[in-house]
Amino acid sequence: MKSQLAAVLIAGAFLATGGGASAHHSFAMFDALHPIEIAGTVKEFRFVSPHTILIVSVKGQDGVDKDWILEGGAPGLQVRDGMTSKSLKPGDEITVTINPLHSGAEGGSYQPMQVKFKDGHPVVAPK
Amino acid sequence: MSLRSVMSLAALATVVIAGPVAAQQPFDENKYPPMAGQWQRVGPLGVFDSTKPPARGQEAPLTPEYQARFEANLAEVAKGGSGDDPVHTCIPEGMPRAMNLVLPMEIVITRNTTYILMEYLTMLRRIYTDGRDFPKEEDPSWMGYSIGKWIDEDGDGRFDVFEVETRNLKNPRTFDPSGLPVHEDAETVVKERFYLDKANPDILYDQITVMDHALTKPWTVLKTMRREKKPIWVESICSEGNVHVTIGGEQYMLGGDGLLMPFREGQPAPDLRHFSKQPAK
Repeated sequence: MKSQLAAVLIAGAFLATGGGASAHHSFAMFDALHPIEIAGTVKEFRFVSPHTILIVSVKGQDGVDKDWILEGGAPGLQVRDGMTSKSLKPGDEITVTINPLHSGAEGGSYQPMQVKFKDGHPVVAPK
Repeated sequence: MSLRSVMSLAALATVVIAGPVAAQQPFDENKYPPMAGQWQRVGPLGVFDSTKPPARGQEAPLTPEYQARFEANLAEVAKGGSGDDPVHTCIPEGMPRAMNLVLPMEIVITRNTTYILMEYLTMLRRIYTDGRDFPKEEDPSWMGYSIGKWIDEDGDGRFDVFEVETRNLKNPRTFDPSGLPVHEDAETVVKERFYLDKANPDILYDQITVMDHALTKPWTVLKTMRREKKPIWVESICSEGNVHVTIGGEQYMLGGDGLLMPFREGQPAPDLRHFSKQPAK
């Protein structure tokens, strides 16, 4: 599974997101020390409590698309960061820096400021 | 019985039912400090002492036994688990953790009760100010049973401090998401002093002192909040989209396909003994 993870890495070194999204619970299941960037197509964006959920379809090295589930902050936090339920929609092509699951499964945590559209524009402007 | 007699009896019944406190002076909201409205956390997210780093950095005065428990929890967390933090399964934070104020809160002052409505997890603090005592027999709760007293410290005829004591709390609870523990006996007592900044009434302080058998001494912190003048409120119903699942004491996450995923590398699948081995046709 680690090799599959490596297949979708675009770059290896990014700023760690730390615990910034950990409103609801410990985010210890996500590896804040080894963030990665993934690129893919938004399949679903759930603007729900306790944490927003972003599902991104990412093409693996074997050419097969896999759905990555990314957990963000609480909607109440993201709204105040400028995010809304309409900020992302199915079909949007994005890159996003995430803290991946320690298990190597297709999951991780994200923060709004680290999501960019294909043309490089951030989904929300940095504060 | 005359109409007047009926009305007198009704008035008497109102006094008896409402109790002696309700029969006192009418509620004068001008006597209370302007604490009503939305208040936002000032300081970092997810820590009890806002002036210190998270986890060990909090330097909580834990007893050796509970320091050892905390270290074991941190070791578990380092392996990728949620450790002792119960909130990932939508259990409310409870007191005093709720005052870490992930999301804003609203204070509503009424004659006999002051309410703190918390956006995060839709937690509600109900603080009685009608002179009652703590109940002798009542099941504990995560937010606890709170009794408050408005105090006129400077003698100007207006209240300026709100003292609150909270007891009868329920476990599991922790001080923060890192799993900083409270004692398993759940006999936590939380004392608070709310007051506005004298120079800036848009700043609210909450001095919190926690007495708990997991601590070697009372732990006092000062929370600072700022008034939000254009408040928005976002509904926060935890069960709406929680993807964290605990099965047989193991924590898992639901994947993009809605199926279980492991947290930790090498984590075994749940015990499926209650399912038939052959898929249903």
